[in-house]
Amino acid sequence: MTQPSSCPDTPTDVAKLDRRSFLKTGLGGTLFLGAVSTTMTLTGCASSPSERLPAVGTRMDARYQFRFLTDTDIEIFEALLPAILGPSLPEQPQSRRLIIAHTIERMDAGITQFGPANQSELRRLLDLLGFSLTRITIARVWSSWPDVTTGEAEAFLQRWQNSSIGLFNNGYMALVKISNVAFYGHQDQWHLSGYPGPPQWAVEALPQFKNA
Amino acid sequence: MSVNDPFTEGLELGWKVTDGASLTENQTIEADVVVIGTGAGGGTSAEILARAGLSVILVEEGGLYHQKDFKMNELTAYASLYQDGMSRVTQDGAIAILQGRCVGGSTTVNWTSSFRTPDETLNYWANQLGMGDLTPDAMAPWFDGREQRHNIEPWAVDPNTNNDVLRQGCEQLGYAWQIIPRNVKGCWNLGYCGVGCPTNAKQGALTTTIPGALANDTTLIHRLRADRLVMNQDRIDHLLASAMSADGVSPSGVTVTLKARHFVVAASAIGSPGLLLRSDIPDPFNRIGKRSFLHPVNATTAIMPEKVEPYYGAPQSIYSDEFNFKEGVDGPAGFKLEVPPLHPAMSAGVIPHHGQKQIDAMTNLPWTQSTLALVRDGFHPDSPGGNVSLRGDGSPVLDYPISDYLWTGLRKAFGIMAELQFAAGARKVSFVHMDSDWYSSWAEASAALDKLPMEAHRVRLFTAHQMGGCGMGRHPENSVVSSFGEHHHVSNLSVHDASIFPTSIGANPQLSVYALAARNSSRLASKLTG
Repeated sequence: MTQPSSCPDTPTDVAKLDRRSFLKTGLGGTLFLGAVSTTMTLTGCASSPSERLPAVGTRMDARYQFRFLTDTDIEIFEALLPAILGPSLPEQPQSRRLIIAHTIERMDAGITQFGPANQSELRRLLDLLGFSLTRITIARVWSSWPDVTTGEAEAFLQRWQNSSIGLFNNGYMALVKISNVAFYGHQDQWHLSGYPGPPQWAVEALPQFKNA
Repeated sequence: MSVNDPFTEGLELGWKVTDGASLTENQTIEADVVVIGTGAGGGTSAEILARAGLSVILVEEGGLYHQKDFKMNELTAYASLYQDGMSRVTQDGAIAILQGRCVGGSTTVNWTSSFRTPDETLNYWANQLGMGDLTPDAMAPWFDGREQRHNIEPWAVDPNTNNDVLRQGCEQLGYAWQIIPRNVKGCWNLGYCGVGCPTNAKQGALTTTIPGALANDTTLIHRLRADRLVMNQDRIDHLLASAMSADGVSPSGVTVTLKARHFVVAASAIGSPGLLLRSDIPDPFNRIGKRSFLHPVNATTAIMPEKVEPYYGAPQSIYSDEFNFKEGVDGPAGFKLEVPPLHPAMSAGVIPHHGQKQIDAMTNLPWTQSTLALVRDGFHPDSPGGNVSLRGDGSPVLDYPISDYLWTGLRKAFGIMAELQFAAGARKVSFVHMDSDWYSSWAEASAALDKLPMEAHRVRLFTAHQMGGCGMGRHPENSVVSSFGEHHHVSNLSVHDASIFPTSIGANPQLSVYALAARNSSRLASKLTG
């Protein structure tokens, strides 16, 4: 299901909140993040997992079914991954798109095991980034995510990494950690770290690898 | 499948094992004892109680995974075997919590280090906290017994390079080092203990005590979440539990009521206080969930001139206690030095950077050595630990403020670890810290360390050792259970896991849990059969 087109871009309940009032909440900032999510739900903008087709190779039977990430979340990571992964991504547009798409699918698969409490924390963070008012006032990302350049994404990451506010440092770590783990941790990228994989002699000797 | 997999064999022999996700109807079951949790404490308790002739039901929220599932793959293992799919953190997100969530608990995914509780810690409990029945002499037979049960011996094979760098550094600087005792039998020295032992060499609960319990009168129900202990008068009448769906995360709606004469809670230092709080267990002095300890861990990474291949070989085989108790058991924060194994997903999640800095750290993985410090918390007034409470949905969360006392210890540990790595020949060293660079000499690293802020989030912190929260003691005013794990107020409730430790241990806690659970379960068994 896609979001209804009547969905307001800036729900009035939270429109008056700006960066200053967010910062005032201090450690209670999660309350604010909760307000964003709640308002989105109340106004009928509740996010549902993306039904988008894989970026490349649209064989229907190979289609990945997203269970957590929404269309907007995916746009966020499509904008951030070129900065998070940097030159580890190939230049060639087709393989670059494919690797980004697969990394986001693996992130989604990993998040499904996070459990309800951590999923809702992540939902708040992604709603904050995805909702245009808070994207601009709190993340200070002016363009909508599909238009964010790698330079702008890099500047955003640096702002949150170097911020003196722990909540932003924490948000930075959450974003780069799930991205880096899903990317460098996967067999397709092991060559980037020089990790040869499990010893081949053990794989050949162990019963659980037979008939695989 | 291998003839050596005890679970495959046992299931064929008709072990009573039920997957909660397969349940379609609400039901009530009954046994002499219900044991909640299947880790170091729960497994030990179930085996001892079942061998004493009692009927036991073992309850586990996570799934049953065994040799057929252990394929040396990080991403699948982290998603299936760890709490919250490896995303568990303290309340403010500053400390990443590594904790098992599967049959065998953390013993299924730990790195096999098996230390006796240090004498200093036991003497502190005896002398400062009034538990004179837990002296080193009194505990020695229990350690002996558990060392036999889990085949614990100092690692006889040469350490891998990752560990040997710690040894070399200690040799160079004149610091003490020792060989780590491991709970393995016929270990292939592969290096994949953290993702489920692929060869069944690891002698954790999954291959020892749980099979031992199942071979006697025990029923194991996994993917069943203990929701609430329900009291009748001054005793627990039953446990209410929710079956999980096949995804392992969401409840299916099917509930199970478990009745028993006695209930043993062994759901970890986060899970046990969580269950007791959800159950409104009498707590007149508000002690449940208090004094939670973590051995906060910080780390440094070094690029060595020779290949390290930190992903291969027994993950932990060398340690140094040079700085653990040096300034007194209750002096400035001491720390134990060990090394972590480094596989690509773990490394990518630990290194707190992105872009080129992340790539630079990752591409050197085969030459990377890492050292870690386990800071001993809970022995000093300025180290009161954290606090487990319940979220709105009833799930437990640990708030762990990091005091200046701990930051001082963490900063000192950073310095010592970098010094050790340079002494062992490191080309460059980096602190696992958002603001750290790579430094090419000890002098350069030391000068930089003086300026690095010791602050939550900027320092990357971890814990693999959760302790406390249902602390033991003599007086209900400052503890939840007795030194036998018996609840102060509810006569048919015991706690048999790391949550009863009144301080941290000062060493990897698995053998401390095994030994105390064995002692306390033996006493409980004789009470229930007497």
